[in-house]
Amino acid sequence: MGKILAIHSYKGGTGKTLISINLAVSLAKLGRKVCLMDLDFRAPSLSTLLNVNGVDYWLNDYLNGVCEIDKVLLDLSDRINVHGAFLVGLANPSIEAIRDMSSKDRKWEMRALGRLLSLRNSVLGERGFDYIIFDTSPGLQYSSINAIVTADLVIVATTQDNSDVEGTKRMLRDLYDLFEKKTELVLNKVMYGEALTSGQEKLQAMIKDVYGIPLLGVIPCFCDISRAEGKIIFVHEKPDHPFTRILGDIAAKVDKLQV
Amino acid sequence: MSSSEKEIFGKKPIQILEKIRENLERLNEKIEIMIELQKHGRREIEPLSSEAPLDVMTLLSMPDHLRKTAMTICRLGRATAEEVAKQTRRARAVESAYLNQLVVMGYLKKERKGRKAYFYVDREGQG
Repeated sequence: MGKILAIHSYKGGTGKTLISINLAVSLAKLGRKVCLMDLDFRAPSLSTLLNVNGVDYWLNDYLNGVCEIDKVLLDLSDRINVHGAFLVGLANPSIEAIRDMSSKDRKWEMRALGRLLSLRNSVLGERGFDYIIFDTSPGLQYSSINAIVTADLVIVATTQDNSDVEGTKRMLRDLYDLFEKKTELVLNKVMYGEALTSGQEKLQAMIKDVYGIPLLGVIPCFCDISRAEGKIIFVHEKPDHPFTRILGDIAAKVDKLQV
Repeated sequence: MSSSEKEIFGKKPIQILEKIRENLERLNEKIEIMIELQKHGRREIEPLSSEAPLDVMTLLSMPDHLRKTAMTICRLGRATAEEVAKQTRRARAVESAYLNQLVVMGYLKKERKGRKAYFYVDREGQG
């Protein structure tokens, strides 16, 4: 059976969504059937970034028990021309939906966890997908912890910012460890020189020392990515860019991981 | 001969033995719960309310030994103590005790089917 990945971070702006989209597409390029889901109900962004209009059903509806997951999933495989498949489930970005999602009680969250857990059978099992990737809200929110509990592997996006390092360390100890989750780290927005081959060994040692978990990848700070303003799927439109190569390596590593 | 004695003698010996085994198993489960209660102290397994939702925040605040069992039930959906024990690599009797504790605390529901007891999270029934 396939794997469920949750992309999480302590702070916002660490590149979760950038990594989620481009990792999903990189896996689809490897021929995998991938389903990317926006679980950031407080600040949904996939519908805007992927420029999807006229959505009938959102993930909100699935979690509310209004519809089954088939109605939510949109097939975007044609856009990226891959061997595999690339489908998305979107979070409703309307203010009303965001307000509704932030006022749910514990019982609703418990049922939502049940609905997320049942995706393993419905999406990976019955529909034969290789991956479900959850893009989550930063920090300790119900929706992110539900995603973490459901996932086989948590990929933590972090930067070299001190507040992020400390918070990430705490989350590793007090959240992922308690749930006994396999966790891997992606260090994002690293100064370019340090991210080169010679600097990478030093970074590997630093990460092992600070976090005690393996480093899945190092992504340098690329101005081109900021300049693209999230309008393009980078690994698709810039196949020769170093970012595309790095995400390709991360995808290949994830694909080999036993979880 | 009293009426209850008549009832027993009216049945086949094999049925009586089955009944005795079933009762012994239930008794065993109860003893396991009592042992666990003593081991961990009553305080931490007192039910929070009559209907306690097993959400992620509750999972986080649970003692480690119970979280492992509860997480396994979340993953499996509906399982016997033996199936949980296979996943956690702990003894069946230990899992049986933890599962029954979670039932007492109101987080899990238990249903008997023949000789097997199934545990599950009642997500639809609450609220």
